[in-house]
Amino acid sequence: MKTLDQLVEKALSRRSFLASASAVTASVVVSGCGGGSSTTTPTPTTTTTPVTTSTAAYSDADVLNFALNLEYLEAQFYLYAATGGGLASADTSAPTGYTGTYTEGSVTVGSAAQVPGLTSAQQEILNEIAFEEQTHVQFLRSALGPAAVPMPAIDLSFFGPLGVAAKVTTAATGAGSFNPFSSFDYFLVGAFIFEDVGVTAYSGAAPLITAAGVSAGYLTAAAGILAVEAYHAAYVRTSLTARAIAAGSASAYPYLNAANMVEALRATLTVGASAAPSTAGSVETLLVLPTNLTTPSAIVAADPSNAVGFARTVNQVHHIVYGSPTVGVAKGGFFPNGTNSIFATTTA
Amino acid sequence: MANQETQLLDEIIVTSRRKMLTFGAASLAGLVAAATTKSASAQAAAVASYDDQDILNFALNLEYLEANFYYMAAFGTTIDVANAASTAAGAPQVSLTGTVGTAGTVSGGSKVPFTTIEVASYAIETAIEEGKHVATLLMALGGAAAAQPAINIGTSFQTLAAAANQAQPSGNIPSSFSPYASDVTFLVGAYVFEDVGVTAYHGAASLLTMSSNLTVAAGILSVEAYHAGLIRTTLNYLDPDGSMGLLGYTNSISNLRAVLANQALLGVLPSPTSYDAVPDDYGLSSFTTPKPLGGSMAATATRIVDANPANVVAFARNPTQVLNIVTGGGAVNGTTAVSPAKGVFFPAGLNAGPNGFK
Repeated sequence: MKTLDQLVEKALSRRSFLASASAVTASVVVSGCGGGSSTTTPTPTTTTTPVTTSTAAYSDADVLNFALNLEYLEAQFYLYAATGGGLASADTSAPTGYTGTYTEGSVTVGSAAQVPGLTSAQQEILNEIAFEEQTHVQFLRSALGPAAVPMPAIDLSFFGPLGVAAKVTTAATGAGSFNPFSSFDYFLVGAFIFEDVGVTAYSGAAPLITAAGVSAGYLTAAAGILAVEAYHAAYVRTSLTARAIAAGSASAYPYLNAANMVEALRATLTVGASAAPSTAGSVETLLVLPTNLTTPSAIVAADPSNAVGFARTVNQVHHIVYGSPTVGVAKGGFFPNGTNSIFATTTA
Repeated sequence: MANQETQLLDEIIVTSRRKMLTFGAASLAGLVAAATTKSASAQAAAVASYDDQDILNFALNLEYLEANFYYMAAFGTTIDVANAASTAAGAPQVSLTGTVGTAGTVSGGSKVPFTTIEVASYAIETAIEEGKHVATLLMALGGAAAAQPAINIGTSFQTLAAAANQAQPSGNIPSSFSPYASDVTFLVGAYVFEDVGVTAYHGAASLLTMSSNLTVAAGILSVEAYHAGLIRTTLNYLDPDGSMGLLGYTNSISNLRAVLANQALLGVLPSPTSYDAVPDDYGLSSFTTPKPLGGSMAATATRIVDANPANVVAFARNPTQVLNIVTGGGAVNGTTAVSPAKGVFFPAGLNAGPNGFK
């Protein structure tokens, strides 16, 4: 029988490209403010940096802890949006018996707050996602036991600089700073930053689990969480699309274009490891605004040639959450002191 | 790189899935706590008489069903016959190259008279993606691909609606229910399939032994979850408080699926009130979070995600469970497995090789 090899050739060659790429052409570096203000001006710089190749030695716990770092970030974002508060300290501190060297960080709250003006249905949606991401934190911590890393420092004010870098601010409002906690629509754009990334991060990280992790059931967990992240991503993409259709035009509902600008920024940040949306090698699927009864929407993010979902490497994910395309960077953006992870420093 | 990674992934999935099957839907925390001593490959080799072709053909049968449903709803045609609507939308015309088993025909269904851009565009997108899934699997399987079996996407919906009302009488789906009547009924019809696709890929992926196949299965899993999230989100938007009855419909359908899945898992048909003997499926009605949100209080939440609230990991189903759902209980008779399973969507059963799932 033929295998699916030929069919995933494109994806695999993309992977090979990632592994063997000898240079990145870096562009915008997004700088977080880290000071609790959402109005700090970012500092774009242009650099060209050679890629260093290295073979990481890591354990299953390292892979799960990578996922845990992302879940800490997502949980804090959704909990603040839903309730105005974050994770309970029992869910962020180093677990009993922890012998690692990572320390617990604090959350730079910035303008993070309960999103105002929600309908009860919208509030219940936020409650659901907040509950689910919080449960992922608790579940991974429980699975890791004393090996679970504490929460790293998280900067929720980074949305402002990220929005400026993505040109979301002017796209949506013409003035003022991007604040995902200011309205339901801006919340959707903020959530959009994470959700497709979450799906692909699990796709990319799961294969890193070692054979020893088989017995621990880690992979089933990863696949099951992957599916949940895809449900979330579909919620966000469906909501943006439906609200744009209801508004009637892209100009009447600028948030759809704002989300696409976030996609473009993500592609820029992972330059060398991804391509711009709508081009070969991209792991982004831009949203579209259907205007009649005979054309498709673009809710699903997947390879257009075979409708198979994307994956991102740990490096690609770190480039996005650090807001930096530079190789060798260990912190920045949403993680001002870096992730509490062996993968914290980008290597490609 | 990919080879080594996916090989590992494969081993991991096989073992963890075996454990999932063994322990049912026990919490993954429980799975993590329970260690096995045998290697994954050894376990798989010891019990598996099927191979990757069988797994992929099982998935192909399900994709035939889904793709034809969406093509019929969106374009008024089957996947192998292009018409003006499918051509205009850029949907692939799928050449039915599968030869294993008995080729059948697709019966029932008609183009939905869509009135909203939202639902029409969703139907078209989903049709295109499911069509590509069929084409992808056909290419992968080549001469070993299952033929498209007889598929009923007409009266089978009324049969299932009646069964769903039995599983959850308060749901009360009209006996004349047709997914092709309107935008709304189309969404309810799609709801019947989508979460099943997620659980089927989640369950079947673990049985694969070839790394490249697993990579694709995981990628399709994510797409099915996007589809499921799309359908659930849209139904929730249409009927946020349940006053239109749509949430009740989803509860009835989910309950029926859980009954059928539990029947296949436990060998007994749970009573309608204990359909959730092993948590398996949830409709769209809101729920109260079992834990407080952060330092705040427990809150009322929607159920866009179909997952176990204990750990918020999506459900997985084994092939027998999926067969029992898509054949409307045809895979189990009392405590005995029935093969080939046939009924509702697959009136002549699925097409599979000698060791395949049917």
